[in-house]
Amino acid sequence: MTTTPLLQITDLHAGIEDREILKGISLTVNAGEVHAIMGPNGSGKSTMASVLAGREDYQVTGGTISLNGKDILEMSPEDRAREGVFMAFQYPVEIPGVSTANFVKTAVQEMRKHRGLPPLEPAAFLALMREKMKLVEMEQQFLSRSLNEGFSGGEKKRNEIFQMAMLEPALAILDETDSGLDIDALRIVAEGVNALRSKDNAVVVITHYQRLLNYIVPDFVHVLWNGRIVRSGGKELAYELEEKGYDWIKNESPAEV
Amino acid sequence: MAMEHFTTAVEGAFTILSEHVNGASSGALHTSRKQALDVLREVGVPTTRHEEWKYTNLAPILANDFLPAIGPTVPVTRTILDGLALSDLDAWHIVLVNGVMQPSLSNLPDADPDIQIEELSDETSAGTIAAATTNPFVAVNATLMSGGVSIRIRANAVVDRPIHVRSIVQTDVGATLCTPRIVMQVGAHASCTLVETHHTVGRSKGLTAGVTEIDCAEGSSVAYTKILDDGENGHHIGTTAVNIARAAKATATTACLDGTFVRNDLVMRLNEPTAEAYLYGVSVLNGSQLADNHTVVDHRVPHCHSEELYKGLYDGRSVGVFNGKIFVREDAQKTTAYQSNHSLLLSDNAVVNAKPQLEIWADDVKCSHGATSGQLDPEAIFYLQSRGIGKDEARGLLTYAFAAEVAEHVAHDEVREHLERRIAEKLGARRFDH
Repeated sequence: MTTTPLLQITDLHAGIEDREILKGISLTVNAGEVHAIMGPNGSGKSTMASVLAGREDYQVTGGTISLNGKDILEMSPEDRAREGVFMAFQYPVEIPGVSTANFVKTAVQEMRKHRGLPPLEPAAFLALMREKMKLVEMEQQFLSRSLNEGFSGGEKKRNEIFQMAMLEPALAILDETDSGLDIDALRIVAEGVNALRSKDNAVVVITHYQRLLNYIVPDFVHVLWNGRIVRSGGKELAYELEEKGYDWIKNESPAEV
Repeated sequence: MAMEHFTTAVEGAFTILSEHVNGASSGALHTSRKQALDVLREVGVPTTRHEEWKYTNLAPILANDFLPAIGPTVPVTRTILDGLALSDLDAWHIVLVNGVMQPSLSNLPDADPDIQIEELSDETSAGTIAAATTNPFVAVNATLMSGGVSIRIRANAVVDRPIHVRSIVQTDVGATLCTPRIVMQVGAHASCTLVETHHTVGRSKGLTAGVTEIDCAEGSSVAYTKILDDGENGHHIGTTAVNIARAAKATATTACLDGTFVRNDLVMRLNEPTAEAYLYGVSVLNGSQLADNHTVVDHRVPHCHSEELYKGLYDGRSVGVFNGKIFVREDAQKTTAYQSNHSLLLSDNAVVNAKPQLEIWADDVKCSHGATSGQLDPEAIFYLQSRGIGKDEARGLLTYAFAAEVAEHVAHDEVREHLERRIAEKLGARRFDH
């Protein structure tokens, strides 16, 4: 029996302002899997996350992206989110004047509306928030504070995972979620993500370092270099990279075309 | 031309007052009125050449030939009052019509030892906090004020129920100028909430030249909210001056939500060490509305603290002005004073003029100011979209949130909720779920 992959990227070319950054990416992610995309700075990692989430600054010049067999390239960012794509931002935006609770509530109700579900009752919503906050060890007081305003780096990333927990995406893309985290925050974030894994969803972890992958153990590791996936393997590839450094990849990879 | 006519009209009303009120063309009240009129004659009605009126041209406003009125020209009914903002607020409501307090339309405490609200019968007691020395419209008010309101809060009283002053300019007889005066004295360690609203009722245009004086005695806490949410006929030029004593805290929130023309001068004086002043302002304008907010925070002594946040959202051809002065005098060491001013331009034709002005004469202080103007942050819009919120919806929510950051500083739940609702209505924007 063949199943439709959760995410299928085929020969994706994309860039910004005439500059091609992704030069033919192909990737298949099945439900239940965790994929790590590793690579040095400037290899195209964050571009890949942005293109998946639908950031409008980027132009897709070739290839396809489908989610559960549905082409998402022409979809707006909000429609992709409603279809189940979630990106944990590398730099979560601060929004003064909106409490975290009200922001999350608005997002959850919006998603439910688009999925044909009735709005959650206040009590049920509160209970759900309490449950999910525990996952990332967030304290109650965060809910009433303005979204991300004055949050530490770790608090912002935990808030991203909290939102992921509330929105229950099919595909979660963690864009350098480990950057700027101390080891405790890293562990909390990773444990949160692990608790949310299921046979029905998938996680794409985008990272420069192997460190996060000690906690979120990937099924597959892909190395991105110069806009292409130059090597794929199991979790041991991450260790190899950590040991040998990215120069190893740069030296062994085919010269730039 | 319009300017001279305005001064002549004030002079005419002064003459009538001198002849008919108290029958006295001598005495303390007459003298103080005359002095104020002299200030107006000397300073004149300001043009845009005047530094304090650089961005706000009064000529088209004063071309309406406003005539001063003192007291009701036509009765104002309860029905009219009930249709105005915050009429169902659980508060002590004080109604002024054309500047004169109307006990029969008010809802006043009956022999409450904590609060004393009465008609300002001795106008000479006013003017100690907002003196008619340089500001021509304070001078106009001081020349003509008659029967405003005096509010006294007893020392140590905790007054939970807000005091709501509703100043109405009644314009059925023609374009009308009114000069309400509110004098509030808050005793030591007392706390209270004062809400001030202004309305034009009638067929013609109204201009209010209002003055509010608030004295915060030692250790007191005063939350003051001034809401300008008038109709198209509404024009407002108001001064609020606040004196803040040792360990006292005054919070002033000024919301300009509707009305054709608004100019607010807010002066907060930190007169004794450890006084605190908080100034918040939000203007939500469209069409050809104008709102001009001038603020002064005067750090006169050491160890005081002030924070100021003013925001404006400008649509259509509206014009916003913000001028924020902070004085830190030579003796005011260890001052902390922060000011920020942010504007959102919602249309290509809207204009904002922002001018922070810090004059610091002490050397051991922490002061900062920041001003921005522009559009919504595209990254914030994308962030909301990535959470499943549609783009237009995201814009509306973020626009509302931009303004709500100011409203959230209003401590009284009902008043804050009213402001938030009116902001959302004016913006036609959805609010985040609660």
